[in-house]
Formats: sequence, structure tokens, C-alpha cells
Amino acid sequence: MNNDDFLREHAREPRPEFARDLRARLRDLEPAPRARRAAAWRPALAGAFALALVVSAFAFPAVRASGQAFLDLFRVRNFAAVPVDFKRVKQLDDGHFDMKTFMADRVDTLEAPGQPVFFTTPAAAGAAAGLDVAAPSFLPRGLVRDTIVVERPGSARVTLDGARLKTLLDAFDVKDVTVPANLDGAKLTVRTTPIVVQHYASPSGARANLVQARSPEVSLPPGVDLAQLGEIGLRILGLEAPEAHRFAQQIDWHSTLLVPVPTDAGEFREVTVNGQRGLLITSSEAEGGGARRHGPRNMVLWADGQKVYGLMGSLGREELVQMANSVR
Amino acid sequence: MASGSAVLGRVLTWAGAVRATDWDALYAEQLPRVYNFFRYRVGPDAAEDLTSITFERAWRARERYDRNVAGFSTWLFAIARNVAVDHARRRKPDVPLDAAAEVAAQGTAADAAERASDEARLARLLAALPERSRELIALKYGAGLTNRAIAREMSLSESNVGTILHRTIQDLRAGWDGGTEDEQR
Repeated sequence: MNNDDFLREHAREPRPEFARDLRARLRDLEPAPRARRAAAWRPALAGAFALALVVSAFAFPAVRASGQAFLDLFRVRNFAAVPVDFKRVKQLDDGHFDMKTFMADRVDTLEAPGQPVFFTTPAAAGAAAGLDVAAPSFLPRGLVRDTIVVERPGSARVTLDGARLKTLLDAFDVKDVTVPANLDGAKLTVRTTPIVVQHYASPSGARANLVQARSPEVSLPPGVDLAQLGEIGLRILGLEAPEAHRFAQQIDWHSTLLVPVPTDAGEFREVTVNGQRGLLITSSEAEGGGARRHGPRNMVLWADGQKVYGLMGSLGREELVQMANSVR
Repeated sequence: MASGSAVLGRVLTWAGAVRATDWDALYAEQLPRVYNFFRYRVGPDAAEDLTSITFERAWRARERYDRNVAGFSTWLFAIARNVAVDHARRRKPDVPLDAAAEVAAQGTAADAAERASDEARLARLLAALPERSRELIALKYGAGLTNRAIAREMSLSESNVGTILHRTIQDLRAGWDGGTEDEQR
């Protein structure tokens, strides 16, 4: 007999009825099939969001510092919604184009983020993340906080590749733009700061996630005029040339994060959250699909100069904005 | 490179990224491990309840889970460990774990019958362990984690995990053999 056999023999298979009942309860927590249409635009939005992040990163104006090779820096202070064609965005998730695969061998990890860490109190999570964790005082529909997670920071360096960007443009049938030659080989660094996610749930199935962090940062080498790349990115997202040009001229690329909103699956409007300009994005089925089990999927994004916040969940628009306004 | 993508993937948290995952397969694979983690960590009586709590928390949070399947186990056991801590915190005012063996040893007829069971005997030995040693045993023999994975999970060195486990197993073995001898007399 091995020395630890007496320990190994203590393990048991769970009772079959326990395993069956628990799985059934978990299925009850899963979205009903009829909610899929509304949920479908979320991953599409996520894909577009990744693209938009890169587009934003590409699109800094030229650095005008003389002689000093410091890095230009981007921090999120504002959000701008970009209406995009849902079918176009959907291509990102249908295998037509995969941003991560596309960039795979051009990304070097500088700091691996590791696994998320779970906490039982906002204070403990805040201590781990180095943040004063804010929380909402208004919790509609019987929501209670049930999980707090801290996503650890990480950083990666992306080496830009002019030929691949051209391939990307071709994939989206954008033929009338030219990729600046001096972009090829430029390196940008993406740093994600610790992110605190508080998850709220109610017995009736309502859910909300409050996400907060210092802004992710993207730094770029100087000397490359990348302003027109913002315009290129907007073209990739499906905007016509004049519209992309006008939009690109209006945006402060140093502080504005583009959020693509598929026009036939969602809509957006500006809202005020704690005195700051915020962006409310709603599923187009949000308020009308009364029979849906988990209700609408809406999102509010805002920043207060110190942190960036996202509140998303199966709540009505007004409830979500009210909840966001109670975050202190 | 994979973790390079993970860095970019973190940003997707803002948009609630969802990765298609075979939750049925994960459930079937992880349920026995989580259940047995709790059997070793807190005892068989509470194992089902705490397993349920762990999976329900994980299920509610799973939309935020955007990592590979190999990492799912680590994520799930991070939840399970928190659930165990909450459970211990609730129970401590009533029955300190260090005193559990002593309480169980005070004999009624029912206690004597219980002691005859190997399961109850091992449960008493485990209950008498320091918290960290018991958690290591639970992760090793209940969850089936490697020493390396345990080291990562508990922020210890792998050699430290090996040393603590070795000593703990020796102590448990001595208690186990001693109990057997007592019963044989």
C-alpha cells in the first residue's frame, strides 16, 4: 500500500441525482434560446471593439515633438459610437477575418496577465488592483452582488505590418485607400491595467456587470503620421469615404475610444453620468422583447478622469443609467 | 503569443466578450473534482452544498470567462477556494476546526459508530489540520491538481508545496495508523 492510498481512497463520485439536479439548475441560469438574437450582436460588438481599439491606436496624429523620441500615449477619456453595418461586423466572428489570428505572430507578450483573482469584498479587490473600487447604491430588480473579480494587468507589443493591413483592407473590399509606407514595422504597446469586475444577479434572472479600471494605454513611436489611419479604420468598419473623413477630423484620437454599434442590432445616445459625458448603447430589441427571459442587454460607458467605467446588463435603459449615476 | 492575444483579449472585457465553450463537457469533467475538493476541504456533509454554490457562481460569471479551457479549472478552483473560506468563516464561531478532532473524540455511542467508519476517521484527521495544510491536501487529492498547479494557485514554490504535502501526509498517516491500532485493541 502506498503511503497516501488512504487519502486517495477518500474521493467519491458525486451522487448521480445530485449531478443531474445541479446541471438542471445551471441550465436554468443559461439564456433562453429566444434571447440569442439579442445576444448575437455582443460578440460581434466585441470583435468590432477589438478592431476599433487597434484603429484608435493606429490613428494618433503625428507627434510634433522635436528631436525627442518619446512615446505618444493614448488614454480613454471619451467614447464615440460609430454606426456600422451589422453584416460587416459579423464577418469578424464568422471566420471571415479573425483579428487575433491575423496579428498572431506580430504580438509579443511583455507582461502576461495571468488568471483572474476572485475576492469577497470591494475593499480587498481594490487593494489588489490598486484602485478605490466604486459601487452602485441603486440596485434595481433585486440585484445583489455575488462575485468580484480582478483581472490582472498585462502588456503586449504589436508590430505593424503594412502588407497585412492592405490584406485587411482587401478583405473588407476597401480599394481606394493607401497604407502609409512608414507604418510598416512600427511598434505599438498595449497596456491593460487591473480591471475590477463586480457581477450582480437577482433571483429573477436579472444581471449586471460593473467594470472599472484605469484607462488601458496604447503607446506609439513618434514620427509617423498616423492620422489618416483612423480614417482607414473607419472605412474598414464600413463608413463611406466622406463620412469617414468627417468623423476622423472630429475625433480627439488621443483620448477617444471608438465603439462600433451595429445599426440593425443596436442604437446609442449620449447620456450624463455623475456629471460626465457617457455613452448608452442599447440592443434594438431591448425594450420591446418583453417575453425574453433575461430582458434587454444594454451598456453604459463613461470615464471620470481617474477611471473608465462600463456598466452592462439585462436592465432597461433608464434603470441602467440610474444605476450608473449611483456609482460612487 | 497566446498570452499576447490574452492581453488584447482583456480589453474585450469592456464589451462583454463571449467565447463559445462546451459547458456540458466542462461540467462533467469538473464536477467530481470540485465535489471532492470540498470533501477534503470541509468534509462530506457540506460538499454538495458548496459544490452547488461554486458552480452557480461560476455559471453566473461565465460570460466574462474568455480564456482557454485549460485555464477554466484554475478559474473554477479560485471560486471554490473562496466558497470554502466563506464557509469556514461562517462556521468558526460555532465549531473551531482545530477543536473538531477533540469534540469528535468525546464519545457517545453514535460517535463510536461513526469513528468505525474510515471516512469519518479521515474527516476528523483532516479537520485537525492547519488551514493551509488542509487546503493543500484538498487541492491535491480532491481536485487532483499537480504540485505545480497548487504552487501557482497558492502563491507558494513548487518545492514548498512538496515539502508541506510530505509532512502533512506523514502526520495523517501516523494518525491513521494510530487510529487503526486503537480500534484493533
